[in-house]
Amino acid sequence: MTQVILATVLGLLFALGTYLILRRDVVRVVWGVSIIGQAANVYLVTMGGLTGQSPILGHGGEHPVACSVPDAGANCVTDPLVQALVLTAIVIGFGTTAFALVLTYRLYQEHNTLDLTEVTVE
Amino acid sequence: MSLDRQPTVIARTVTRLVVPLILVTALALLFQGHNLPGGGFIAGVLTVTAFALVYVIFGLDYLEAELLDRNPGTRYETESGIIREYGTVFAVGLAVAVGSGIAAIALGYPFLTQAVAFVEPLPIYHELEVASALVFDLGVYAVVVGALLTILAEVGSE
Amino acid sequence: MSADLAVSTTHVVVAPMLAALVTAVLTLGTRRYDRLQRVLSLLGIGAYGVGVIVLTTRVLSGGTLTYQLSAWPAPFGITLVADALAVFMLALAALTTVAILIFSVAYVDEEGQRVSYHPLFHFMLLGVSGSFLTGDIFNLFVWFEVMLMPSYVFVVFYSGPRQTAAALQYTVLNLVGSALMLVAIGGIYATTGTLNMADITRRLADPAAFGIDPAPVLGLSAILLLVFALKAGIVPFQFWVPPAYRAAPAPISAFLAGVTKKVGVYAIVRLYFTVFAAGVVDGGLGLPGLSGESFLAFFGPVLFLMALASMLVGGVGAVSRDNLDDVFAYSSIGQVGFIVLPLAVVATIGDHSFGAAATDLQVLGVIAALVYSLNHAVAKSLLFMVSGTVFDAADTIELDRLGGLTTRYPVLSGSFFVGSLALVGIPPLSGFFGKLLVFDTGGQALAAGAPGAGLALAGALVGAIFTIAYLSRAWTKGFWGDVTPAVERGEQSTVLVGVVAALALVVVAIGVGFDPVYSFAEAAAEAALDSEGYVDAVDPEVVAHE
Repeated sequence: MTQVILATVLGLLFALGTYLILRRDVVRVVWGVSIIGQAANVYLVTMGGLTGQSPILGHGGEHPVACSVPDAGANCVTDPLVQALVLTAIVIGFGTTAFALVLTYRLYQEHNTLDLTEVTVE
Repeated sequence: MSLDRQPTVIARTVTRLVVPLILVTALALLFQGHNLPGGGFIAGVLTVTAFALVYVIFGLDYLEAELLDRNPGTRYETESGIIREYGTVFAVGLAVAVGSGIAAIALGYPFLTQAVAFVEPLPIYHELEVASALVFDLGVYAVVVGALLTILAEVGSE
Repeated sequence: MSADLAVSTTHVVVAPMLAALVTAVLTLGTRRYDRLQRVLSLLGIGAYGVGVIVLTTRVLSGGTLTYQLSAWPAPFGITLVADALAVFMLALAALTTVAILIFSVAYVDEEGQRVSYHPLFHFMLLGVSGSFLTGDIFNLFVWFEVMLMPSYVFVVFYSGPRQTAAALQYTVLNLVGSALMLVAIGGIYATTGTLNMADITRRLADPAAFGIDPAPVLGLSAILLLVFALKAGIVPFQFWVPPAYRAAPAPISAFLAGVTKKVGVYAIVRLYFTVFAAGVVDGGLGLPGLSGESFLAFFGPVLFLMALASMLVGGVGAVSRDNLDDVFAYSSIGQVGFIVLPLAVVATIGDHSFGAAATDLQVLGVIAALVYSLNHAVAKSLLFMVSGTVFDAADTIELDRLGGLTTRYPVLSGSFFVGSLALVGIPPLSGFFGKLLVFDTGGQALAAGAPGAGLALAGALVGAIFTIAYLSRAWTKGFWGDVTPAVERGEQSTVLVGVVAALALVVVAIGVGFDPVYSFAEAAAEAALDSEGYVDAVDPEVVAHE
């Protein structure tokens, strides 16, 4: 059931992000990019450890069983790897979003508009 | 909220109370980060929220004028005053983080290898865990604080 | 950390990356002392070059080296793999960036250099080197980002209306690309249970033993291909290329076209020929035109169409532009087509129905792509720097306002001539062998009866004719003819011309002394196709499936 809810939410997030990216307003576009980035992060967490073992080294060399594995014992651990990945991705997304917003501001200063149809590349 | 109006007394009082709390929480997150939830990035972001609160409530020049007791130069000059110092914090943090990785090479281990030592017995604490990862975290902390405050001050002053 | 973990401490693997990283930090710290900063930056690129040379000799004489960051064993830790393919790309990057940085110091104005140029340059180089060396697919994403973030800033470096617009387009596209890459990587992790590239290879080669289904990986790797095509500027993901290259400072356009683009090419070779090549979909896809069962047989036709379209779009675009940078930008779209074409041809025959000859042909195809990449990296950087020098001297790069450069600046024009001939493929320059190998791959594939090989040859021929057309047009309009007022007024910079001329000599040298280059590329191609050797070198710890 959790899977279904997450899948629906992810689909909505990606749809929303795509919709915003296709808008004419630059700020909305940056919002859309940011939302798609966050959707990818949520997706990463969802994907964590659906198969196999948690890729962590336990004490003494034995590998703890991931909780997502069917009939894992009470000593199972959640997959820490996806969380590390997501944290990295969040940090990167944070930096790029900040840059994109500053860029939007500069674009406004240079072109006096935030309407993409009035901003020409050539 | 219009710009020429002062924030309410409630906002100012709450800020005075909350900012130290945020900073202490940030430090706690920083120091436990090597093996518990927390770490340099989170602590850095939290620290910056404290600064952001100060900026929003007391204005951009408050930090320089009231805390550092000096004249906050003209805002429109690039790389002026405190922004320049934020840049230095960023550079120093990066140097610390990279240096902590290179130190491992100097000791004959692969780049970024970390170690942990337990100091005991100590009074009250009994046992203190000293992790070399903390140095790296400190570097990350400084990088995040430096970078975010630069962005905040630059964009805020525009 | 227990000492019994078998850890290789061959620090030379990490040396190029450390050189770039330390230089980035040092140049960031010395922003207020601009002379010192420039000296450090140049010393840093020197150290980078030395590191790459030492690493290359070690790898070529002693085989693949691996390095476990933080001493965590594979597949848990982050692995760096320096095999012949990785060091070939590193050598390409080092050769080009040394010239580009020396050029930058003389080209970019003092203020620009002081603010952020040098740290960003070395961070970009760090990202490029990391992408070449990493053996972990998530780290590939991280290094891509490290490489892209400085490039966003560089595109908006001059901060005018054109630059901000180009940078917005470039940034948004790449951010969407990054999100897609993250989605693909997450899916691959969920499907195969690992992120280590050697471990993925091993698991795909024997899916039953690890209890994984290779079919989803095919779709996920198709999403990844889209991201790499975006980075490499292959049609239909090419539209960001001309505005971004025009907006960036000339040396950075040289960097983006010469080196950053090759990261996309490298990722395609590494992931599709080493890692995903191990995968097989039982019974094939059942789609028309995609008959084979291996992953490569699926990507062959896709790459094929993209390569052909790139050559045509790049050629037609370049012929019709009136600005040197635009001509070179469209040209690099077309040239990437030439790089991808041999890969596409040999990917199509990757299916084993062609027997033992297929392996030899695959090696030949990858050699062709690598040699062509090297040629394009050097020649196109040369051309972008010629355009920069012309701009520095004449204040314009519009072909209509240029003319008579040959009489006014003979050395500069000679360098442009050498670079153009290299792109066209005239012996004895580097480009001749690139073109020769591309056509040889097509010819041999045709002889072996591979589908589409004839079309590939025809496409390459048309692409080559376009190359001749747009370069001779730029030559006759810009360099020959009467001296225009703009050219008459200007004054050339000795350093800039010196760098450009030196790079022209490199182009000649690669062509004249081609034997060692070929054997280097051959070693790299064999390493790229040797999936088992790659897995053995990394030796991910065996983790039994439940």
